[in-house]
Amino acid sequence: MTSENADSYLEVDNLVKYFGDDKAVDGISFGIPKGAFLTLLGPSGCGKTTTLMSIAGLHTIDGGRIRVGETIFTSPKEGLFLPPEKRDIGMVFQSYAIWPHMTVAQNVAYPLEIREWERPDIDDRVAEVLKLVGLTDWADSLATNLSGGQQQRASLARAIVSNPSLLLFDEPLSNLDLKLREQMRVELKRIQNEVGITSIYVTHDQSEALVMSDEIIVMSKGKIEQRGGPVEIYSSPVNEYVSNFIGIANLMKAKVVEVSEPGIGKVEVAQDGQTVQLPCRLTPGIAAGEDAVLSVRPENVHAVDESGEGTLTGECTHAIFLGSYVDCRVRWGDFEWKVISHPRNHPRTGDKVHLRFDAEHTLAVQP
Amino acid sequence: MTTETLSPTRERSPLNNRLRAMVTQENLITFVVAIIVAGAVIVPLAVLFVSSFKVLDPLGWDTTWGFGNYVEMFTDRIIPKAFLNTLIISSGSTVLATFLGVSLAWINARTNCPGRDYLEPYNLIPFFLSPFIGAIAWHNLGEPQTGLLNNWARDIFGIEGALINVDNIWGVIWVTGIFFAPLVYLFVVGSLRRMDPSLEDSARTTGAGLVRTTMTVTLPLVMPGILSGAIIVFVTSAGEFGVPFKLSAPYGWETLTTQIFSKAVGDDANHFLGAAMSMALGIITVFLIWVQQRYIAPRSFTTVTGKGFRPNVLDLGPWKWVAFAYNLMFIAVAVVLPIVCLIIVSLHPVWTGKIVWADITTINYVKTLFWWRPDAIAAATNGIVNSLILAFGGASIAMVMALVISYMIHRTKGFGVRMLDFLSVVPIGFPGIVLAMGVLVTYIQTPIYATLWILMLAYITRFFPYGQRNISSIMLAISEELDQSSRMAGASWFTTLRRITIPLLKPGLFAGWILLFIIFLRELSISIILFTTGTETLSVGVYYLTNFENEPLTAALSMAQTVLLLIAIYAFRRFAGREALTA
Repeated sequence: MTSENADSYLEVDNLVKYFGDDKAVDGISFGIPKGAFLTLLGPSGCGKTTTLMSIAGLHTIDGGRIRVGETIFTSPKEGLFLPPEKRDIGMVFQSYAIWPHMTVAQNVAYPLEIREWERPDIDDRVAEVLKLVGLTDWADSLATNLSGGQQQRASLARAIVSNPSLLLFDEPLSNLDLKLREQMRVELKRIQNEVGITSIYVTHDQSEALVMSDEIIVMSKGKIEQRGGPVEIYSSPVNEYVSNFIGIANLMKAKVVEVSEPGIGKVEVAQDGQTVQLPCRLTPGIAAGEDAVLSVRPENVHAVDESGEGTLTGECTHAIFLGSYVDCRVRWGDFEWKVISHPRNHPRTGDKVHLRFDAEHTLAVQP
Repeated sequence: MTTETLSPTRERSPLNNRLRAMVTQENLITFVVAIIVAGAVIVPLAVLFVSSFKVLDPLGWDTTWGFGNYVEMFTDRIIPKAFLNTLIISSGSTVLATFLGVSLAWINARTNCPGRDYLEPYNLIPFFLSPFIGAIAWHNLGEPQTGLLNNWARDIFGIEGALINVDNIWGVIWVTGIFFAPLVYLFVVGSLRRMDPSLEDSARTTGAGLVRTTMTVTLPLVMPGILSGAIIVFVTSAGEFGVPFKLSAPYGWETLTTQIFSKAVGDDANHFLGAAMSMALGIITVFLIWVQQRYIAPRSFTTVTGKGFRPNVLDLGPWKWVAFAYNLMFIAVAVVLPIVCLIIVSLHPVWTGKIVWADITTINYVKTLFWWRPDAIAAATNGIVNSLILAFGGASIAMVMALVISYMIHRTKGFGVRMLDFLSVVPIGFPGIVLAMGVLVTYIQTPIYATLWILMLAYITRFFPYGQRNISSIMLAISEELDQSSRMAGASWFTTLRRITIPLLKPGLFAGWILLFIIFLRELSISIILFTTGTETLSVGVYYLTNFENEPLTAALSMAQTVLLLIAIYAFRRFAGREALTA
């Protein structure tokens, strides 16, 4: 289980971290190229923040190795541990961690003072970074007078001011309200693009991950479930866990009945006497005759007028108008399908509904 | 996913690399502090324990090992009685202080008593003043022949004999009770103030009246706070030396503390018997504090609901004037009368119980304060200098220690943390006089004995937990990420401490410093065991004057101490506010 990518800029190799007897991180490995934006995504307790803290050096690790560029950050086997302040990292914390006893400019100047820059250079650089995050007018106000979004910008300014080799984000948007959060996502991504610093972003919010990342690592219970680009993670989840965690999916127990060519085949789902075979894509490694989980996103299930091969018939239990689309539920035996319909032509509550599935977007994944 | 055999295990690194990784600025400092604290706290208590099994032979030359001291405690003519007196005094003081503290807190926090916000600071003043001085003042107010109140009663109402007599066990309970009432007050006022008023309102809607609501809803909700306060008062009263020394011991009511004192100093000094008695007292107090910390304190947070804070108070109707009068009465007997009495007595060359305008003089202040004058009393003038040195130096050192310990407990992880947490509770369980006995038997043959250093050591050991709590409460409230982001910005541990942590903790550091300054300025029960000629403290000076000189001189030095304390209290309120106390 060593990292495949020796020329990665950041390389985490077989990282293990215990809390007491609990394994918070269970031997994960990944690498990212310089300048990339990687998101660690998962529910609380999945080990994503622990991984981030280990990279930052705020946790010591129990096994494995972390390297950035030519520098080994930590490797307990070799007895190496670089203290956090020597790692040249910028970090944005969940609580922003803006020091309340300093002004915004003083907060942002701090990393440069530690690096013993000359005063005029510090002032120039601070002004430049504050302009980048849009806080020029707030330079001299106390940090406590800022709004949440402004504190977040100040925190980001402080993290990037010294041009660190790595930028870490620990759920930085989770304390903001929805509207601000959506706005800051784009803003953060813009600034990261502009400064081009390799970034690792930790979040439990899948839409944040999808919007911002070059690559996403989905974690659970201290292990990596899947790694890939946002589109890949969304459209081709490898297992039930990932398809459940990312977006909304209809997940149903299924049996693989046929593998026609690699990655393509048929599954059989049964409910209440009805048995239906559906053509679908197969996650690599699933063979005919095995149990699998059928995963279809609601937008890939269609209510059609006529039944036919590969359709199933159920009853619409409710249809909720949500403006741009209609959220329908179709009961099929004990199972309730989530279906997204067009507002101009959608089933009504009580209607008998035939459901057809896009073979291209119907997946059989690992249970 | 993966089976257990596949997952990597904890890796072991070469020993010298691991050692090098352990020797960081942070680990080094915290380790040194842990050793110092463990030494300061544990060694005296261990030596005290061991010493209590050393039995002095009748000639006082040699010792043998055995349980003789513990046997003597039960067979002695005085000690069993002293034990009983201590129990009576502590119980009585606890009942009185709890009643006063809870009722005043309820009046100030939950009712529309007029002027309650202005009265609160004065309700709390006795907490900072010296109970020993209170006893001296009340002796001059309520002594049968020369007591000011008794003389006024005879003059104004023509009463024969004495109206009151405080020179007995009831006087001790009275003074201890009124001086420790603010302790209970501080334990309950916070939860009373933050209590969700809808809890009371809903009781009222069921038809329960004011009294019934208060008794069945309000008080039970703050019961953990009341119990905590009561236990602290019991323990503090049991360890109180000055009040029984002034009011009851001379009249035949010895207590454990006055007995320990006579075994520690004086002609029939027997340190080992004193150690055994200290052990007995210490075991009782440690047990009670353990119960309080383990079972009662953790519950006190559950009574408070976070939401729905409405500052709505009970309308007492005309009874609010009764509450107002009651509050004023407390301030009168606990603060105003004692201070006025001390001022009056201190201005007379001799005190006969009556104000003689023609005799008014400042000679007592000259003799006790003006150290350059030939007629100055050395014990008094030494006391002021020594106490100021101890208060400034001790408070500063203790706060540095408290800061490092709080930091270790809340910001580092490791083997030393749990031990430090424990070590910062232990001293609270032992009365000052018990710890002082431990320090005495431990260091009597070292060069620091008979210097101010031994006093400073004992002061800091006994009281640093108070400073530590002040800092901890703030440290818990500020996010650890504020420190971490400084490390990420490239600052070392020490730079982070200097530029981020300490500036953020400044209010807590300052409040803790003044609190310790006040405690050290009035400290008696440790000083009385450890002082020698030349190292008298303010309270020891007062002790010396009351024992070997006269009441007016005593009153003068008492007033000097009280004025210093009042200035410090003003500074404390100015900079810290009342929340710093309840922490």
